[in-house]
Amino acid sequence: MRKARRGVTVVLILAIALAAGGGRAAWAQSKSLTFSMLAGYKEDVLRASLPDFEKKTGIKVVVDAAPFADLYKKQLLSLSTGGRYDVLFMDEPWVPPLSEFLLPLNERVKALDVADFVPTTLQAGAFQGTQYALPVDPNVQILAYRKDLFEQKGLKPPATWDDLLAAARAFHDPAKEKYGIAITASSDIQTALYMLLAQWSQGAELIDGSGRGALNSAAGKKGGEIFLELLKFAPPNARGYTFADVNKAIQLGQAAMAIQWASGARPMEDKTKSAVAGKLGYARVPKAVRQTPMRGVWTIAIAKNSANQDAAWQFATWISGRDFGQAAIKYPSATSAIHSPRVSVLKDPGTRAFLPYADALFDSLQIAKERPRLREYADIQENLRVTAGKLTAGELTLDAALKEIDAGTNRILGK
Amino acid sequence: MAARGRGRWFLLPGLLFLFAVDLIPLAYAAWASFYDWWLIRPRDIRFVGLANYLQLPGDPEFTRAVVVTALFTAGAVLVEFVAGLGLALLFAQRLPFLRPIRVLLLLPLFVVPVVGATMWRVIFHPEVGVLNYYLSLLGLGRPPWLSDPTLALVSIALVDAWRSIPFMFLVMYAGLEVLPAELFEAAAVDGASAWQRFRHVTAPLLAYVMLLAVLIRGMDAFREFDIIFVLTGGGPGTATQTIQILNYRAFGLGHMGQANAIGLVTLALVAVVCWVLIRAILRPRAVPAA
Amino acid sequence: MRPTRLGAALTAIALVPILAWTLFPIYWITAASFKTELALYARPPQWIFSPILDNYARVLTTIPFVQYLRNSLLVAAGTTLGSLVLGTLAGYGFARYSFRLSGAVRFLVLVMRMAPRIVLVIPYYLMMQRLGLLDTRTGLLVAYVSFALPFSIWLLIGFFADVPIDVEEAAMIDGCSPLAVLWRIAIPIAAPGLVVAAIFAFLVSWNEFLFALILSGVEAKTLPVVIAGLNTDAGPLYGEMSAAAVMVMLPNIVMTLALQRYLVRGLALGAVKG
Repeated sequence: MRKARRGVTVVLILAIALAAGGGRAAWAQSKSLTFSMLAGYKEDVLRASLPDFEKKTGIKVVVDAAPFADLYKKQLLSLSTGGRYDVLFMDEPWVPPLSEFLLPLNERVKALDVADFVPTTLQAGAFQGTQYALPVDPNVQILAYRKDLFEQKGLKPPATWDDLLAAARAFHDPAKEKYGIAITASSDIQTALYMLLAQWSQGAELIDGSGRGALNSAAGKKGGEIFLELLKFAPPNARGYTFADVNKAIQLGQAAMAIQWASGARPMEDKTKSAVAGKLGYARVPKAVRQTPMRGVWTIAIAKNSANQDAAWQFATWISGRDFGQAAIKYPSATSAIHSPRVSVLKDPGTRAFLPYADALFDSLQIAKERPRLREYADIQENLRVTAGKLTAGELTLDAALKEIDAGTNRILGK
Repeated sequence: MAARGRGRWFLLPGLLFLFAVDLIPLAYAAWASFYDWWLIRPRDIRFVGLANYLQLPGDPEFTRAVVVTALFTAGAVLVEFVAGLGLALLFAQRLPFLRPIRVLLLLPLFVVPVVGATMWRVIFHPEVGVLNYYLSLLGLGRPPWLSDPTLALVSIALVDAWRSIPFMFLVMYAGLEVLPAELFEAAAVDGASAWQRFRHVTAPLLAYVMLLAVLIRGMDAFREFDIIFVLTGGGPGTATQTIQILNYRAFGLGHMGQANAIGLVTLALVAVVCWVLIRAILRPRAVPAA
Repeated sequence: MRPTRLGAALTAIALVPILAWTLFPIYWITAASFKTELALYARPPQWIFSPILDNYARVLTTIPFVQYLRNSLLVAAGTTLGSLVLGTLAGYGFARYSFRLSGAVRFLVLVMRMAPRIVLVIPYYLMMQRLGLLDTRTGLLVAYVSFALPFSIWLLIGFFADVPIDVEEAAMIDGCSPLAVLWRIAIPIAAPGLVVAAIFAFLVSWNEFLFALILSGVEAKTLPVVIAGLNTDAGPLYGEMSAAAVMVMLPNIVMTLALQRYLVRGLALGAVKG
């Protein structure tokens, strides 16, 4: 009985998808690719270099850019209904759920100079042994700090979490509107990721070897406590902060340190936005039991049902290649930060002039830790986000929050 | 009434269009809501009947969202109605300097909601925002507009009001404009005070327009998304998480069955409230002035 | 009935906080479009400053702004026209012709508007895909007219119902067809209602984001999607966003100024007496 009903349903869905897929003809012209891209400054960087690609290969690339908050949704909807994208710019956590609809690249990758990729960045495009995407724009959490203030007090940049807390305490002076560290304590995803970083550093894991939620452990608790302790030295209104507000706090000279994604560091050096441009130093995030900066790599993937797979592969290799990487780093917009995944580019001495944090970026990428590679990860991260938000808002105690995170993880994974 | 037969055909184009375009999506949404359907698992779709609906009342996040939505909608619409009506009455006066200013009042409607909300975020910024700068000069401290649970709810209602009072003003102002002036003059001659004139002459005649304004605004406030998402993202914690934000999150993760169920529950709630309001206010008048 | 001098004075005084509240954020957005981000957060806040044009330059050069502006304009104009025509007909029809289920049908019209947009987006997407209307202005237009129509219909029902029926009947006796009565008599009297419906429909289309995002790709993209794209993963680009928003506001202002003169009482009286 059940099987029959399920069969009818699947047929209905497929019928709609197929009927919907009928409209693809318009886009299936050879030598033309439709590219789902992130709107904004990354798009600007791409567009600046696109004419080079088109001239060299004769392939026309049509860019469909969507805002960050909606890109995943748009890609998911398009791919699952017989879509119209050939190539997609994908944040690494999206690769597992979308892998269903992506072209496996293992064979093609063999022909590439993979040694020139920072090793962890290549892993970002893989799932269950199959390579689905190439890295384009690696990002990782780093520590940004006010070199000038540290020199004044004769302090060295913090190496451990204890050092971090001590430094934050030393610089925290609310009366003068100076704060130790800028992090978020809102219901923004960054809050959860900061807490996770602290917990990872203590040795905790979000999910254990048997696929069950494991954050409610001694290490998880210690990490959570350190995170909450750190909040005491954050600006008072960190509870409303987003990624951009962390930058603001540094740019306006309010915070002495910040843990931030490397891509956020670029605006800190923009003179039209930042009063402290040139005064910042960069380092790896602090360590405790281990040092685990979080990795977040933007990748390029090819749709399984693309009619232009060879052209798509050419585009993918170009956008993850040296030439584009060099051009991207040199792109003269102060907020643009497409970091190249190529060792040759990152270690190039000229790069430091454009990316003052290039060394910290490269060093951190070497030891970067990835978030769990699961199809259901988006849901797990959502649960993490909401619960961390409730924790910092005072709706939950740390114990209750950790329990709720694990309960959610188990529920989502069907354990 | 000779009028009777004439209107018949006029109804068709609009109704046909509306139902053709809207009923199919609604039917689809209803159909999808009976399945456990996760977009990332396209081969694992199961019929679950009313399960998606039945789990909602027991979900504390959902019930909390209903409360937040109700508070936000009621508060915002009330303020917008009173302010809009007040402005409409103010501007209905025969004062020459009012005419050119009308357009200025409508400007908030012309700002794309995302930008308006983003700019309000800048204004609301507790440390470097302009609002708190002046408040602190006046000795009123620096309220954490977007990071205190209660204040956050007030803030989003405030921004919604900023954006929508012009709409209420516009609708009710238009309604006032078509009212025959003679009635007011007659009432004034009879010695009625301003309040009496309003209560016994203006209000009954304007009832339909006022009700419509409240209904439309109420429906939109209930479904408001952009402003809240940009200002607080549903936070702090879940203090400003409305049903819409919950719905958006469910869709964003590809949970089609649950998301559609939430959407249809929203529709049902709104329909019930509207129906009650319409019966209460329009019943005594049946079809207006027909 | 002229208000007293006192009334006029009180009104003028009341206008000050009202306009300040309404216009301050608009001023702030406009100012932001001419400032750097650092200046935006300056303390004390800069009310007077020397403007820079960089934000406008960046917006106009990095985005095919004119193409998106054209899209937005065409779709908004189409939406306004479509809702006005269909809404006027239906509104007048409901006002003049009541049948047994008219109350229920009217309510159903309103119900069409009660579902959250996000619920409708995916079926719309599939529908448009089948009809080949994805990434076309027509596809967006159809969706937007369906958004604006319920309110237009209900609004115009009210305004048409208030048109004195004896005037219409007199005209009918004189040999006017129903359509002519609608066009020559009912519409002029209900003009303020039509103005509101038009402005509303234009705004629904102009500011709409979600459907534009999902239903459009490269060809039919409208301005709100572009503006939302300036809300990057590294935070909003305040300068560019404000510049774009200011440019997007202008057509609305022009349209409203053009329609303003129909928003007056005089037209109604004139039609009845004449």
